[in-house]
Amino acid sequence: MTLTLVMPTAPASDAELLAACIAGDATAQRVVFRREYPRVHATVYRLLGNLRDVDDLVQDTFIAAFRALATYRGDAKLSTWIDRIAVRVVFHHIRARRPTVSLESVREPGTTGALEDQTHAREGLRRLYAVLATMSPDARTAFALYAIDGRSIAEVAAVTGTTTVAAKVRIWRARRTVTRHAEADPVLSEFLTSRQEDA
Amino acid sequence: MMSPDRIRIDVPAGDERRVESEVFRQLAAIRAVDRSDAVGARRPLPWFGFAIPAAALVALAIVLGSVVGRGRGAAPVREASLVVTPVGGSSRFTVGDAVIDAGADTSVEIQQSGEGVTLVLQRGTVDCDVAPRAGRPPFRVIGGTVHVEVIGTRFAVTRIGEGARVDVTRGKVHVRAPAGERLLTPGQTWTPGESVATDANDSPRPTPAPVPAVTPVTPVTPVTPAPPAPPVPPAPEPAPAPGPDAPPRPSTRDAFAAAQRLEATDPPRAAKAYRAIANAHDAWAALALYSLAELHAGEVATTLRELDELARRFPDAANAEDGAWLRVDVLRGAGRRDEAARAAAAYLNRFPQGTYAVSAARLAAPR
Repeated sequence: MTLTLVMPTAPASDAELLAACIAGDATAQRVVFRREYPRVHATVYRLLGNLRDVDDLVQDTFIAAFRALATYRGDAKLSTWIDRIAVRVVFHHIRARRPTVSLESVREPGTTGALEDQTHAREGLRRLYAVLATMSPDARTAFALYAIDGRSIAEVAAVTGTTTVAAKVRIWRARRTVTRHAEADPVLSEFLTSRQEDA
Repeated sequence: MMSPDRIRIDVPAGDERRVESEVFRQLAAIRAVDRSDAVGARRPLPWFGFAIPAAALVALAIVLGSVVGRGRGAAPVREASLVVTPVGGSSRFTVGDAVIDAGADTSVEIQQSGEGVTLVLQRGTVDCDVAPRAGRPPFRVIGGTVHVEVIGTRFAVTRIGEGARVDVTRGKVHVRAPAGERLLTPGQTWTPGESVATDANDSPRPTPAPVPAVTPVTPVTPVTPAPPAPPVPPAPEPAPAPGPDAPPRPSTRDAFAAAQRLEATDPPRAAKAYRAIANAHDAWAALALYSLAELHAGEVATTLRELDELARRFPDAANAEDGAWLRVDVLRGAGRRDEAARAAAAYLNRFPQGTYAVSAARLAAPR
């Protein structure tokens, strides 16, 4: 009996990779998964603000993407197309849940130094997402994609399936809400100041 | 006061290997089910722990040959796919950027062409989440004699007899039926038994029951027997905004809508308003109880009490499945993994082909 070992080789181009994925080639799909996973994971995390459901939602995103890959028309980058699915998966998730986080202060007593900084940062993050949880899923998604995930207005519009004007308005409204809360909340304000990125 | 423009958030690492493994395990199972018996998704495949939901998700009769190997940027080509879900199952799929949930025992044909996407609902229910269509190809759903043109929305269409019921959750849809046309906004429902306004912006006027303009596709397995005229919507859950011919229930409906509005601005008052509705004994009470439980989802004990009450008082309510899943979600959110697993098992036991069956199986599986 002769055994032939066939080593899977990565397809040469994106087009070949895509064709192989559509044909159900698991090796090609794994290449796409590993290439896209870090960005999708980061985006889903930044949209949610906690790790609780991230893995499940990332998983749902890739299953939906691979199942729908045949409908990908190439009119946007593959990464944008996958991001769009991720955003819709998260959007569904967010919309299905009501705000469950309190906006009240939860100071942890007895912490000092680096631990206190860490606790403070965690509390700031929690408060930021508590504010986001009070917004409409549309506004929250647009703001998180722009301000936290670092995307351009055009990208936000592309992955949320809206116009740049609408995306801009949603981001602006959400930012106004965050600012208003930060004005009344020193912990949130300090967190935002410390996490402000240079434009 | 600074105004946040870009906020730096550190992203903790995810469990990439586990996610990858799970994604490809499920995809392999889906392919296996596809190969073994595309139509046989109606019967369970016991050798996969999650074969039942997987079958419900994909296998079914998915005829996607049309899209595989398609050329890009070519002239519009008419393509057709068929998705059939089993009795008691459901399936989620995407068409472009639209996310479609096909309910149990649903048969829907997806037609894609240069002129847009058309779903032809032969039986069952589709719940569609569609991006605004401005600048995008049209998205339509045809349910017998009822044509729904999407403007950008979340909505559900259910085949009833020769027509269809349309429920709008978000955005707007334009409904065209033999008796006329109407623009539906969030919270509004259109049922085949009701009259329609001839102008989309007019208030609805009473007209005779619609007469089918075209011969509808004959359902393979009718969801319900041909209903007498006028047909009765099958959903036991009350529509937030009943159609013009529906019996008026202004007080409860308005109170419920007011409670919904209060959720964003004054949750305690919203909770009081829901509780007042929940204390009654009609279908609105079940709806209000569930909303109350969702509103309190951060307070685990309260939520569980309210879900207990929902299950005890309204065991067969339309939102019983949602209630069972909310229990799982709340327990999981509270880090009570064992209880969440037990709740997931209970959910699976009662709703083996339910909307959340895949996730429930994942949670209920021994670690």
